[in-house]
Amino acid sequence: MLDHILSILVFFPALAALLGFVVHKDSMRSYGVAVAAIEFALALWLWFAFDNNVSGMQFMETIALIPTFGINYIVGVDGISLFIIILASFFTMIGIASLTDTKDVKNMIITLLFLQMTMVGVFVALDAMVFYVFWELSLVPMLYIIGAWGGPLRIYASVKFFLYTFAGSLVMLVGMLFMAYFYYQATGQWSFAILDWYRLILPESFQLWLFVAFFIGFAIKVPMFPFHTWLPYAHGQAPTIGSVILAAILLKMGTYAFIRFSLPLFPDASVFFMFPIAILAIIMIIYTAMVAYAQKDIKQVVAYSSVSHMGVIIIGTFALNVEGISGSIFLMIAHGVVSGALFLLVGVIYDRRHTKLMSEFGGLASVMPRFATIFGIMMMASVGMPLTINFVGEFLSLLGFYQQSHILTLLAGIAIIVGAIYMLAAYKKMFFGEVTKEENKNLPDVNKRELIALVPLVIITIWLGIYPKPVLGPINTSVEAVVQLMHEKAITEEAKSRIPSLDIIINKASAKEVQ
Amino acid sequence: MEIGLNHYLVLSTILFAIGLVGVMRRKNLLMLFFATEILLNSVNISFAAISHYYGDLTGQMFAFFVIAIAASEVAVGLGLLIVWHKKHNNIDLEQMSTMRG
Amino acid sequence: MELFLYTALFAPLVGSLFAAMFGARPKTKIAGIVPSIMLGVSLISSTILLVLVLTTGHTVHVEMMTWMATGDLYIPFGFVVDQVSVTMMMVVTLVSTVVHVYAIGYMDHDAGFNRFFAWLSAFVFSMMILVMSDNFAGLFIGWEGVGLCSWGLIGFWYKKESATWAANEAFIMNRIADLGMLIGIFLVYWNTGTLQYDGAFAAMPGLDTATLTWIGIFLFVGAMGKSAQFPLHTWLADAMEGPTPVSALIHAATMVTAGVYLVVRSNELYALIPNVGLFIASLGAFVAIFAATMALVNRDIKRVIAYSTLSQLGYMFAAAGLGAYWVALFHLMAHAFFKALLFLGGGNVMHAMNDELDPFKMGGLGKTMKGTMILMTLASVALAGIFPLAGFFSKDLILEVAFIDHHFIIYTVLLLTAGLTAFYSFRIIALIFHGEDRHTALGFHPHEAYKFMLWAMAPLAVLAVIAGALKGSYFEMVTYVLPATEYHVHSATTYWIMTIGTQLFVIGAIYFAYKKYMSKDIKVPDGTSKMENSFAYKLLINQYYIPYFYEEYLVKPYRELSTLCWTHIDQKVVDASVDGIAKAFYATGENTRAMQSGNLSTMLKWMVAGTVALLSLAVVFGLAAKYSGEIKLFLSGLGV
Repeated sequence: MLDHILSILVFFPALAALLGFVVHKDSMRSYGVAVAAIEFALALWLWFAFDNNVSGMQFMETIALIPTFGINYIVGVDGISLFIIILASFFTMIGIASLTDTKDVKNMIITLLFLQMTMVGVFVALDAMVFYVFWELSLVPMLYIIGAWGGPLRIYASVKFFLYTFAGSLVMLVGMLFMAYFYYQATGQWSFAILDWYRLILPESFQLWLFVAFFIGFAIKVPMFPFHTWLPYAHGQAPTIGSVILAAILLKMGTYAFIRFSLPLFPDASVFFMFPIAILAIIMIIYTAMVAYAQKDIKQVVAYSSVSHMGVIIIGTFALNVEGISGSIFLMIAHGVVSGALFLLVGVIYDRRHTKLMSEFGGLASVMPRFATIFGIMMMASVGMPLTINFVGEFLSLLGFYQQSHILTLLAGIAIIVGAIYMLAAYKKMFFGEVTKEENKNLPDVNKRELIALVPLVIITIWLGIYPKPVLGPINTSVEAVVQLMHEKAITEEAKSRIPSLDIIINKASAKEVQ
Repeated sequence: MEIGLNHYLVLSTILFAIGLVGVMRRKNLLMLFFATEILLNSVNISFAAISHYYGDLTGQMFAFFVIAIAASEVAVGLGLLIVWHKKHNNIDLEQMSTMRG
Repeated sequence: MELFLYTALFAPLVGSLFAAMFGARPKTKIAGIVPSIMLGVSLISSTILLVLVLTTGHTVHVEMMTWMATGDLYIPFGFVVDQVSVTMMMVVTLVSTVVHVYAIGYMDHDAGFNRFFAWLSAFVFSMMILVMSDNFAGLFIGWEGVGLCSWGLIGFWYKKESATWAANEAFIMNRIADLGMLIGIFLVYWNTGTLQYDGAFAAMPGLDTATLTWIGIFLFVGAMGKSAQFPLHTWLADAMEGPTPVSALIHAATMVTAGVYLVVRSNELYALIPNVGLFIASLGAFVAIFAATMALVNRDIKRVIAYSTLSQLGYMFAAAGLGAYWVALFHLMAHAFFKALLFLGGGNVMHAMNDELDPFKMGGLGKTMKGTMILMTLASVALAGIFPLAGFFSKDLILEVAFIDHHFIIYTVLLLTAGLTAFYSFRIIALIFHGEDRHTALGFHPHEAYKFMLWAMAPLAVLAVIAGALKGSYFEMVTYVLPATEYHVHSATTYWIMTIGTQLFVIGAIYFAYKKYMSKDIKVPDGTSKMENSFAYKLLINQYYIPYFYEEYLVKPYRELSTLCWTHIDQKVVDASVDGIAKAFYATGENTRAMQSGNLSTMLKWMVAGTVALLSLAVVFGLAAKYSGEIKLFLSGLGV
């Protein structure tokens, strides 16, 4: 079973979702929770069976699909994708468990399970076509979640979300096709296998164009400034569960893809575009933080804050050294946990008052002390308090980028100031002061079901903040291989000097199996 | 002066132009059919002429095909025209806009 | 010995978690008593460590576990108890124990009693991490941790707008400085390859001066935030919104001295860059007098004490900047004792006066509050630096350091500040405890604080008196790790002239303060007197208009720019351009839809037009292909 665990992880939720159509709607919730729990257990088993010392792909499976064109079903997992998969299954589980106040729960759960298939699929795919298929498929359930269960502007928001990201990924598809064609030119064989592509050394001019093609697809997904405007609408209109999954997992697809595709395939282009991207990321950090400060709606604050933090992830990724990339991957997990939790918390208050405007609240600390405490912990994690999960990621990302540029790191570091400004201001508006509104005087504190979702997140936030090693270790091993690969592939002098050499031998065994 | 290929081709072009103008300008469906026939037959003339010029019968065979297809087209077209006329009591092209986008 | 180290470190955490368990429940005494006991345990462990370090000269160094490890970076949770950190541990645990016990009485009637102790003990834990860590990253954990607890405690009475505002201000201002600190840490890592103190400092002499200067500057920026040095000082006075025990512990004795600790800890770095040191000393001297002047006129006893703290921090930085690290640390220690005492005394007064803070509304409280009066006077005498109390030994030493190093401007400034310090300290003593009774008329009925609160303050009082006597053994201890520069004025005559001169100057200032503020004419100022309308008074009472400046020229523009970014840039430029593309597509569709009129003849016309267009294209391309050579020739003739 362990040999096929990745396929099981991908297709089990989808099969369960199909079966879900015949389950009675009263027992649907427990069915959903059970499926998600099994999936999570499988993901944990994957972690347990995962060999931390191997830098390459593990649990690889290959099934020929269209061999003439080199399109095959290839899946595998390494330290970079492992934890995002676990995170995805974890969030689906607590998401389903904490579903409240939703009409048509049955279809929602089915949609979520389909979404889970596409999410896991994206992170395990090692064939560009399979990756692309899952990447695009993930839009469909999300389109439904926003469009069917969203707020008043849901149609506009969902169509915008769909078309915007779709348009970007079409450009990426062209890039992929060209990449495969290039592989054909070089070797006489078609291949869409990413590990095959890794072995190609492209001329710099090709790299630049292909990098841009991939970049557009990824940047819209991240979303990077100035492609971010779909996100506030999507978050603003999506139901709580939609925002949670979107922020926690779907956004990570973009940053993950940077590390999976852009960096190892185009090392010279990565170095070439490092500073422009870093500048975009810095604008993204500071600008969206300012926009977040101006918001009146707490959910929009969290939405923009999540864009701002994604900027730090980008900075870490384009540090192009082990510290930075490991930090950015860790920050992906951290951001997933923290912004996911913040969206859940916003959902808690929305369920009670059906409004998200901060001016409607005030003084909640005395009415809902437990809620205020958990919100406070997550807020502090979000502003990067040491000993919380976010700090490890932010610290490493910025530390890594410092090697590349001092002044840009200083600017990116403003994140810790502006982050504190909007978060503390929002917290003050919501929780401090006297209770002014009559409706708020008797709000019930968080209930058991909500605690089931929130307490594990608090525990993870602090546990991984104090002891990040179980996660950081495997990430580190895989990242070292990526960095070494980039260094070896780099052709320009600048790239050779910017990307450190680690003098380690990459485990090529897994790459050979593809042949 | 001997009648050569060029004369046939010029005749065909003139007929084609007449047919084209008819297709574009006529508002009566019946007249449209006539114009279409002129178009098709102009092509037939060039087919036959060129076939003769090259001494290759393929062109004349093709002209027969065109005549057969034109006949069947007119048959179907007139059938539709009659139905339309029964239903709307006119065959004015301006009235036929049910396929508006 | 590791056991004692871990006990000293983690006992406050246990206390904090214990109190936090009761966080949302109604007040229980046990939530205050257990943390206090845990603090006592921590104090005893620290004392044992102190004795060990003192007697054997050994240091304890442990590595608990790995924190972050990736690439070449390796950061453990490592703790070191050496001569410097044990001094800080003693100060921290001692003052915190006293403050905890005191707070049981002080917070007696507060609904948030349990929450208070959870935060307060968490603060002590963070502070212990800060001082005990053996690397910069660990220091940063504590650094941020104390910032967090300070935020929670300044905003403890979260229903008060001013309190939460002050809490956010403190947090954000510290964050600005923390960015500097973070950059300093990055610089250390990329230049020395490690964040461990010993490794990093050992590698520093090999670096070039420019790099070292940058490291020194950035680390000091961090210190400026925590120690509220100009221009990041405004938060400290506003932080007085927190409960008084908090002010005593955090904003007088421990947290604000973290910056000084950092500079002392990095003495090996700053020794290599004397120019930065001189800058630190100059800034310290400037802050000393700058804060002292603001304290002269303020009408809020807590703020006066806060400014005096700021001023004393300036002294410490002056000493540290001049390379007299052990003097700075000694003054830090002595100051912690008498300043905490002063604050706690102020807390008693506040309680007695129902949280009234204006000393002009008090007067003659000495009759009802004898114990508090004695303790506060003692603390003020120590602060003023009168022989033989603690301040004399520590503060006068800093003056001597400045004198001996020939930094006469710094010396003069500091000397002047000593006079001002004595004046404003006794100004409030005189206004509170002596002179006419002005409070009864205003409807106050003061009472002395609980006995155990006074007894809790007693150890501080004792230390404020005798700390000077510890100087010798302290010097011997810390000079294991700090440069053992002895500061002696060359001639005995100069020494005596200086000492006696300073003493007389200070006593003169005290006499003047008493004379001015014990008179019977003192009334509650109402803004009409000549002095209150003078420019100097206005400048001082408005804190040199710096908070106003920050509000008008930093906070407001930021807020407005944020709104602008959102409503104009984000919605009207970025998003509008995206929607614009979509709209362009829609519009194209809308407009071309007219073509599909359904009219057969129109469609036929379009068909003909299309055919003609395609045909002409084919002809054009055909011709172009045929005559490509000629076209190229023609174009080259045109110079294209």
